[in-house]
Amino acid sequence: MARGLNRQQIGVTNAMVDSYGDLIFQLSHNMQTRRGDPIRELDFAAIEASRAELGMSDGQIAARVGLSEPQVMYIRNMMERRNFNTRHFQRLLELGGGKRFREERFTNHADRFEYHEDAIALREAMTFAPDRARHYAEQGWWADDTMSGWLAGHVSERPDAPAIIQGDLVINYADLGDRVDRLAGGLHGLGLGQGDVIAVQLPNIVEYLVSYLAIARLGAVMTTLYMPHRAREFETLLGHSRARALICLSDAGGFPAAETALGLELPKLQSVIAIGAPISGAVAFEELAGASASADKLKLPLPVAADPFLLLYTSGTTASPKAVPHNSHTMLGNARLGAGEHQLTANDVIVSAPPFGHLFALYSFHLALYTGAANLLLANFTPPDLAATVETGKATALFTAPAHMAACLGMGLFDKHDWSSLTLAILSGSAVPADMAHAVAAKIPNCAITQLWGMTETQGGLYSRPGDGIDIAAGSAGHPAPGAEARISDEGELQVRGSMLFPSYFDNPGANDAAFTNDGWFRSGDLAAEDDAGNIAITGRIKDIINRGGVKYNPREIEDLLDGHPEIVQSAIVPMPDDVLGERACCFAVATDKNLDLNRVCAYLLEKGIAKTKLPERLVLVDEMPMTPTRKIIKGRLILPELPQT
Amino acid sequence: MDKDAAKDSAEDAKKTILDYCLRKGALAAGVADLDALERIAPPGHRPSDLMPKVKSVISLGVGGQTQGAWSVPAKAMGYFGSTETRAYTIAYGAAFLIEGRYQTPAIYCPPDMDNEKGPRVPLQSLKLHAEVAGIGARSLAGDILLHPEFGYMYFASIFTELELPPDQPMETNPCPAPSCVSMYRQIGRTPCQKFCPVQCLSGSIDEDGKQAEMHYDMAACAEMSQQYEAVPAMLAEAMAAEDAQGREDALFDPDNKLLWYKMSVGSGGLLAQCFECMRVCPIATQAPQADPIRRSIAQTNSGESD
Ligand code: SF4
Ligand code: SF4
Repeated sequence: MARGLNRQQIGVTNAMVDSYGDLIFQLSHNMQTRRGDPIRELDFAAIEASRAELGMSDGQIAARVGLSEPQVMYIRNMMERRNFNTRHFQRLLELGGGKRFREERFTNHADRFEYHEDAIALREAMTFAPDRARHYAEQGWWADDTMSGWLAGHVSERPDAPAIIQGDLVINYADLGDRVDRLAGGLHGLGLGQGDVIAVQLPNIVEYLVSYLAIARLGAVMTTLYMPHRAREFETLLGHSRARALICLSDAGGFPAAETALGLELPKLQSVIAIGAPISGAVAFEELAGASASADKLKLPLPVAADPFLLLYTSGTTASPKAVPHNSHTMLGNARLGAGEHQLTANDVIVSAPPFGHLFALYSFHLALYTGAANLLLANFTPPDLAATVETGKATALFTAPAHMAACLGMGLFDKHDWSSLTLAILSGSAVPADMAHAVAAKIPNCAITQLWGMTETQGGLYSRPGDGIDIAAGSAGHPAPGAEARISDEGELQVRGSMLFPSYFDNPGANDAAFTNDGWFRSGDLAAEDDAGNIAITGRIKDIINRGGVKYNPREIEDLLDGHPEIVQSAIVPMPDDVLGERACCFAVATDKNLDLNRVCAYLLEKGIAKTKLPERLVLVDEMPMTPTRKIIKGRLILPELPQT
Repeated sequence: MDKDAAKDSAEDAKKTILDYCLRKGALAAGVADLDALERIAPPGHRPSDLMPKVKSVISLGVGGQTQGAWSVPAKAMGYFGSTETRAYTIAYGAAFLIEGRYQTPAIYCPPDMDNEKGPRVPLQSLKLHAEVAGIGARSLAGDILLHPEFGYMYFASIFTELELPPDQPMETNPCPAPSCVSMYRQIGRTPCQKFCPVQCLSGSIDEDGKQAEMHYDMAACAEMSQQYEAVPAMLAEAMAAEDAQGREDALFDPDNKLLWYKMSVGSGGLLAQCFECMRVCPIATQAPQADPIRRSIAQTNSGESD
């Protein structure tokens, strides 16, 4: 401070700084006004007259204001310090080299985009072990992949190639790029942007993929709702994901999706975007899709590979949701590395039987987008629709769950339709029954059948390759994807890690603790066995294991046998609590004979050589099994009925 | 005083000293009228406040940026700022010449701020000396001086007790250039005013195309250039931050890091103007000899014709 004297010595008070500060700042050199050119003209009278405007020294100000010079110095310094804006300097960092400052284009740093706290919380969940991150980047497994980048590449290199085929409608890559660009601009117009979660509940239609790409273009995050989801799931999932918008149908087969969402108490949900009939309070999708201010015109920043762009729910759709965040590193790196392994190229026409709400279906899209292949859409799975779509769309690659194939086989659709365009069928979603895989292979002999194991947490984790042959594909999920590693624990659990693995569940610390081993491997919860050649077969779920008085066994083998029983359509064996043994096995079955009883079931199994200790000890007949979208039985929803009182 | 010097008239001495400056690299040199300086400079900043028996103030200017320098990013351009040290070296040599040849005390005028009076006030205004000596005229870009031949220069001054006949200020002011006047007529702003990153320049041009008013928010300009002022501000911001994260952001913000760098190993650059006003100024960049290449061609040609 001035002359090293303190304010008591100088006699300055805060009141004086407040009173005279502005005046002194103005009179000093901080603010200068020159009228004409008086110094060059040596116009001394004009110079004297304009001293106060030209900028005065402290001594001159002191004389003018009636303070001592040290007081002026002190107050001026205080004011300079108070007014100093270090942020101004940052303007300079963006200038020069041909770039000029333009007031109208400049936004102060303080006023620039800031991720909101929910977005930051989601980004916090994207924490990878540093040694892993380094390894994946060094290997090239993580690179600068983004869906926007891939799409832009196809738009410029092969604009006329088909990107999406839906019935008679063919959308080429140029058109897709344009639609995405405009929808992204439209969503931006709603105030949606980087880090915002946008939920989508749609069947597999064009708008799904356009929305997905537009959300990614914005740097936003898509979360998916399955078509059967209703108000309860909406509330849980939209609430947990902190979704700011929902894109859905006005009328989802009788379910008023948009109205339902609008009626819920979801403070974060700003916009419901409806496809179909206008809904009061909802934004019309068509309006946004036709936005003239496209993302490119608005110069919206492009996303980067580390940005999370997908948030998928694995379970707990009504309580304690497990949300899996992914970024382009995990998702798209896995697809880029997988495309060659699956032998997919730009010439492929890829169809997915499962809905895009499920990651296996999105995987098919990621692969198509990487290679530049066409996506042939099947809006909602029914066996005849799938068969017709493959036939008319001349699909070359099919992503399907075993149950889809079983249904087509059951209805004789392989004989009624031409499936010969297929060169690849990837089976995934649940353990693949070997007989069924062989049966499909026999029906489409020129098509490579492969089996893939993946979870929402991993996307394509293990898979057999097209050249492996049907025996390997029918009996195993092959070996790990490039960038992935697998091991089988002492308990027989499949554990994986790799560049495709999600980092952690969003906002569910309890789930995270259980999901990873101490050394960072992901516990899949699946039971697996590895053959000598390194092919890994999925043999069941660890939580399905029956522990009967200390004798543990995997009921899968028995279920497979029961599925071959002439009167059983589907079966599932689950543990039931028992006071003596801890657990006993209960068999749930969908049967054609409503009088089927436990004795007949056990006799059948004994005949097949099953040990007595593994026989089910109760039989519950049900009309249908609760199923996942990829046609897996959800054992957790099989509720044991009360036993009749004896 | 040596024999030759004894014979020198004041005119001859002036020529000898100014020629020395030009030979050593100054583009322009002149002698300011001491009486005028004493009247214009405020108390405490008059030449006699620094050197009580001063009789003459000599001002010289060296060339500003090369043409290439105007095209580099602003953050890099700041590093070219140390050009002014060339001017100080010449002034230092001239002071020795005067003392050696005329046995009269001389100093090269310290270019520093008067730290007692804060970071905006120099001990002596080198620009005032240059303006009165007729080697530059005030522009509409704050207190920057421009020269019709050499454009934008860096200045240094020599004070001496030797009496030398003074020069006059320039007869006309090259600023605003005709193109600036026509831009002003169209959009109400000159290039320097339009492109200043902190918009600290404003003013008007009269009907004759001459400067009418010039407003300069030097405090805002200083935020772009006087980084030593930023340092206490950054520390104050860090101390006032709400939490550890805020403190860390204030101190380790990547942009702020540049300032720390400038204050340590990279000091010397960016302690002057931010240059954006000069980057777009037709006189600074296009005056006939502002371009060092054209200047050297002109010098070669004049050498040949001698
Ligand atoms: S030096 Fe920079 S901040 Fe100062 S007036 Fe020129 S352009 Fe504006
Ligand atoms: S750009 Fe240069 S010549 Fe034009 S008004 Fe500004 S300082 Fe004067």
